Amino acid sequence: MAGPHIVVDGVSKRFETSADAVPALSEVSLAVGRREFCTVIGPSGCGKSTLLAMIGGLVLPDAGQVRIDGQPVEGPDPRRVAMVFQDPALLPWRTALDNVAFGLELRGMSRPERRRIAGDLLGPLGLREFAERYPRELSGGMRQRVAIARALAIDSEIVLMDEPFGALDEQTRLLMGEWLLSIWTRARKTVVFVTHSLQEALLLSTRVVALTARPGRVKSVLEVPLPYPRDLESPGLASLRATLWGEIREESLKTMGR
Amino acid sequence: MIGRVLAARAALGLGVVLAWEVAARARDPLLYIPPSRVLPALARLLLLRSFPLLPEHVWLTLREILVAYALAVGVGLAVGAVLGLRPTLGRVYAPLLGALYAVPSVVWYPSLMLLFGLGAASKIAFGFLLGVYPVVLAVLAGVRQVSRELVTVARAFGAGPGRVFRTVMLPSMLSTLTGGLRAGLALTVVGVIVGEVLGSTAGLGYLITYAYGLLRTADYVALVLVTLAIVLAIDAAAGLAERRARRRWA
Ligand SMILES: Nc1ncnc2c1ncn2[C@@H]1O[C@H](COP(=O)(O)OP(=O)(O)OP(=O)(O)O)[C@@H](O)[C@H]1O
Ligand SMILES: [Mg+2]
Repeated sequence: MAGPHIVVDGVSKRFETSADAVPALSEVSLAVGRREFCTVIGPSGCGKSTLLAMIGGLVLPDAGQVRIDGQPVEGPDPRRVAMVFQDPALLPWRTALDNVAFGLELRGMSRPERRRIAGDLLGPLGLREFAERYPRELSGGMRQRVAIARALAIDSEIVLMDEPFGALDEQTRLLMGEWLLSIWTRARKTVVFVTHSLQEALLLSTRVVALTARPGRVKSVLEVPLPYPRDLESPGLASLRATLWGEIREESLKTMGR
Repeated sequence: MIGRVLAARAALGLGVVLAWEVAARARDPLLYIPPSRVLPALARLLLLRSFPLLPEHVWLTLREILVAYALAVGVGLAVGAVLGLRPTLGRVYAPLLGALYAVPSVVWYPSLMLLFGLGAASKIAFGFLLGVYPVVLAVLAGVRQVSRELVTVARAFGAGPGRVFRTVMLPSMLSTLTGGLRAGLALTVVGVIVGEVLGSTAGLGYLITYAYGLLRTADYVALVLVTLAIVLAIDAAAGLAERRARRRWA
């Protein structure tokens, strides 16, 4: 298909609470091309998770529209979109393998088949020996990998990832990033990725979308036309980093000043 | 080790029985019922000599328990779900339930007999009344244990309301729920049997009051032992069902 894979068209969202109404997003528009790795970055509370949930059909916008392949999103559609959440959110009473197979089970796939597919995914993730472990028996990084495997298992064209490595230490985070890149280059999926980390954004994405402080608006869009694997020390990346930091710094200061 | 524990328990039991025997003989064998009188009475009871209609009475009691429990579970789950899933309704009505329950339940029984008569209906109503509350409470507590994040995950992966319930809510609530269901069962049994003891024309509780009223004290104790065995059997069956549910759903 010609047009962009995902179109976010002027969406706004307010959350009504008992005390007041929090405007989370204000007229956000963006288009994500097929097989792009698009990163959304912005200060805490600016509506990144909300934006992702909207693309995934879990939250409906007050105004505007999200379209995938030109069709408006009206609810979750796991045939097209898979999600990785900010915390791994694994089902604690299921083993790693059965967690990975969860989406396939909801699709009605038979138990042996879905377990085979899930098992094939665990191997390359370094989790083969942990297939029958429960989430509480896994490390934070392993849990996050299981959550990613659960999203990859349903083999949708779009994967939405909400700070999947947010809870990990810097080294693990870098390794997980490399691992994710290798998957993305092989599987050629469209990825929308939320992060707090400039480094992560620059190492992974083809494009970085910076949001303003709450309510989130698109502040700037930065193309990163560099080949993979990338080197943070390279001059190209260093100058992009300076640009991006300039954009983000201002917004982060606003958030902290409140 | 286990052998010694069992031996110690058996010794204690034997000691109590012996002490009881001695004390009862020394005082009034009719009122204190020494074990030596209970065993023959139990044999007569089980051989259907003392109460030939025992099976019918037991069967009636079991049916009353079954119906009362089915009602308690059905209504308890429904009320719990409505109060639990509608937070505003829950805030308004849940405390009311607690207040009602603080009244000793036996005070409701006379009015139940007035409403439902001396037959099975008033026993079922009383068993239901006692059994429903723990079920409602368990659902309310269970719903609170369900993580919103996990519900969102299930929705994102394509689960409709039914699958969300089955794959996320039920397993999250399971241990609380089974606890409440078992407490409800125990209280339903109590309600039905107490109801029969307080006023009825048939059932195990009725036989107990009957034997007691005629001062057939040994028969009375034998009936109590049979009741105890039935209650224990019901509880064991419930335990088995609980383990199965855990294996199946969690
Ligand atoms: N369900 C909700 N009810 C009420 N307010 C909400 C809800 N979800 C989000 N919000 C509010 O909307 C705003 C944006 O939230 P969101 O989670 O999208 O931010 P975020 O950019 O993902 O933040 P973080 O980087 O800390 O994860 C926040 O102010 C938050 O308090
Ligand atoms: Mg977030």
